[in-house]
Amino acid sequence: MRYIFNFPDIGEGLEEGTILEWYVTKGQSVNTGDSIVKMETDKVVADIPTPKTGTIVALYGDVGDVIKVGSPLVEIEIEGVYAENAQAEVKKEFAPEPEEKAKTVVGTMEMASKSAVLPASDEGTSESQPKEEKPGKKVLSTPVARAMAKEKGININEIDGTGPSGRVTKADIENYKPARKVSAPQVSADVTDDVTYVPLTQIRKTIAKNMINSKHNAAHMSVFEEVEISELIKVREKYKKKYAERGVKLTYLSFIVKAVVNALKQHRQLNSQIDLENDRMIFNNRYNIAIAVDTPAGLVVPVIKDADRLSIFEIAQHIDEISEKARKRELTLEDMKGGTFSITNFGSIGGIFATPVINYPQAAILGVGRIMKTPVVKNDELAVGNVLALSLSVDHRIVDGGEVTRFITKIMEYLADPMALVME
Amino acid sequence: MDYDVLIIGAGPAGYVAAIRAGQVGLKTAIVEKQYIGGMCLNWGCIPTKAILESAKRFQKAKNVSEFGIDGVDTDKLTFNWSKVKSRSKRITRKLTAGVNFLLKKNGIEAITGIAKIGMDNSVLVDDKRITARHIIIATGSKPKPMSDSFSNAPVVEMVNLFDVEDFPENIVVTGNHISSVEMAQFFKLIGKNVTLVTNSDYFLHGLDTFLIEHITKKIASDKIDLITDVYPQKYTDGELIFNDKKVKCDLIVNCNSRKAIIPESETLLELTERGFIKTDDNFQTNINGVYVIGDAGGKSFLAHMASAQGIHVVNAIKGIKAHFDYSTYPINMYTTPEIAQIGLTEKQIKTEGYDYKVSEFPLSANGKALIENNTEGFIRLLSDKKYGQVLGVQIVAENATDMIAEAGAYLKVEATVYDVANTIHAHPTVSEIFFEAGFDAMDKAIHK
Repeated sequence: MRYIFNFPDIGEGLEEGTILEWYVTKGQSVNTGDSIVKMETDKVVADIPTPKTGTIVALYGDVGDVIKVGSPLVEIEIEGVYAENAQAEVKKEFAPEPEEKAKTVVGTMEMASKSAVLPASDEGTSESQPKEEKPGKKVLSTPVARAMAKEKGININEIDGTGPSGRVTKADIENYKPARKVSAPQVSADVTDDVTYVPLTQIRKTIAKNMINSKHNAAHMSVFEEVEISELIKVREKYKKKYAERGVKLTYLSFIVKAVVNALKQHRQLNSQIDLENDRMIFNNRYNIAIAVDTPAGLVVPVIKDADRLSIFEIAQHIDEISEKARKRELTLEDMKGGTFSITNFGSIGGIFATPVINYPQAAILGVGRIMKTPVVKNDELAVGNVLALSLSVDHRIVDGGEVTRFITKIMEYLADPMALVME
Repeated sequence: MDYDVLIIGAGPAGYVAAIRAGQVGLKTAIVEKQYIGGMCLNWGCIPTKAILESAKRFQKAKNVSEFGIDGVDTDKLTFNWSKVKSRSKRITRKLTAGVNFLLKKNGIEAITGIAKIGMDNSVLVDDKRITARHIIIATGSKPKPMSDSFSNAPVVEMVNLFDVEDFPENIVVTGNHISSVEMAQFFKLIGKNVTLVTNSDYFLHGLDTFLIEHITKKIASDKIDLITDVYPQKYTDGELIFNDKKVKCDLIVNCNSRKAIIPESETLLELTERGFIKTDDNFQTNINGVYVIGDAGGKSFLAHMASAQGIHVVNAIKGIKAHFDYSTYPINMYTTPEIAQIGLTEKQIKTEGYDYKVSEFPLSANGKALIENNTEGFIRLLSDKKYGQVLGVQIVAENATDMIAEAGAYLKVEATVYDVANTIHAHPTVSEIFFEAGFDAMDKAIHK
């Protein structure tokens, strides 16, 4: 069965991409998820993974060629796929379906294309199995067992069948207990006496690449501040219950997002990026606040869009939503793109100060530490204060020290006097 | 030990087990009191189907002019029971000779006599003690006799059917089973007045309700008198007397439920409440090394199941362990048209909680069926909606009993309706109704 994999719209609304590097050659075997080509688009450089296991029989384009979205990239000979299975996959791809789930930060995709087509089709049902298969081991299995394995996301080749000649039967699928949760990216470890080698996951590769890219290109500079927020605590305590009644968790982060947005409006350099190639600044007119979220799979950075138009209640709602989505690994590319300023809230885990790495090419990132009870001087007397630790990293190419200080002071003012947040 | 395996009874359970045992290198003996081939070859499956075939051809001969054949004076057609019997016996002789040959070929010693289970892995045949590591009881079953109140009635058991010289006009068939319906139809086809006395609670137990309703209608349209839920009280002056009616009866054919033939035993053989020999899942009795296969174990009364059990037990003795599958065996009815069923019934599918679909295709839209003038019938394919698994198949067609084997393969390999639809069936064949039903299950049959 020949399968033509078309260049997918990787979620940025792009129209075309340039082939930077082929990772495969004609005749090469590939497994689902293997990167086959590095494509440059107007926004990202992305590794495009194959959605199918098989053998590459044709590459459509050379390095430097521009490929339109929806045009063929490669043709893959899929082995041992019976007509109905392949058809089932077509049906899945044509069926209306929610946005693909992105597992990682913008830049690298791990998903099949909606636009992929098969040379022939008729009918089928069940969903396709997005799992890679071990090359060289293909078990005998009954059609129902295959359908069930696909639906349940089980790699049928890992099952020892109890049917004739070891055939995997329906009962084998029903009785199958995976050794570990299959949803996490699977990596096989290689253990020696001293160290354990674990292949990099796509998400880790991307994080590494982005971090280096940021450190390499931006001139990092960090400032640290402490702000006394007893008033804010009172306000939060007062409204927490009311928000809870409306099904929303009121966190300090909601106030911080609001404070940041208000401060950004007055200090637009912090909501910008530098375009050295064209000798210009790009000021963002939108205030899209990216929130770094720690998940078991790795760092993800979903975005609260147009936060300047949202009330604190609405911001709290959005934070609830994206946290939930991140936890369930349901974030879409749409949820993660377009950030103009980032906040990383390590205080919720217990950190105080840090030097956060800028989410390049943004101009700055605010690190929020934990709130600590500390002796403070109020009206020339010692008192117990509630102090919030703030760390701000900026790209010193874009923002000068004075502006940075003014910006963070403004944030502190808002947090110290929450009335100002709504009064301005 | 004299033998590795000793088998008691040479019916389709015993002789198949014996051949298999010989094939896998076990030193095997088979004890049979009288007839190699048992009920199946001598009075059951083979002979009854042979006489049914004669009866069906007798009917069809009356319609040959429809096919453009002239010169047959249908008024002169007669059913020559004597010749029909001879033909049937020839078939039986040929088959039993074949079984004898196979037993010899596989080095199995055939012992004539009546076996008694002895102590310590032994069997007594006419007071001679024979020892064997494994003993397989395959003694079969016989019908329950008619009650004493009919001692004055002319009753014939199936084993004596071929002793009857000529059949009288008014025949009463008793019983709830497939063979009861087959025999009732046989007598109807050869022109007798037939009454079928049955109990609706047990009538064709195991068949899908849909098929039972179909058969009940068919019995009515064949003008066979069906009496359900009342048992005759007595027999007087050529009539069976029921509560509220009398039925003319010159001969009662006893197709009643069967009971196990239990061999004598020096050690107590545990029985089930229904009087069959009790076994575990692998057909072993309460006596270690003693197994029961076929009717005597009461798990099934079909020859093909008896044979399958025989193979299963011998395999187990050889260390080939498997789970015996009761879910995918065909139930065949050699009526005209034939009726066959395999897999789950609609009721069982409901009980198991499947979200299911019933797909049907009629023979009236099938070319080959039209060619053969056999358009009475249909296929019913029951599948689960989630994965499309084929759960059950029911066929009413002239050759349904052969066609059902295809469904057996689908069930055995857990095929889906997509496999059925995508299996190319030759045209023109009646089997094309399979892929039509497959397409019907997915979406829509092509020719419907």
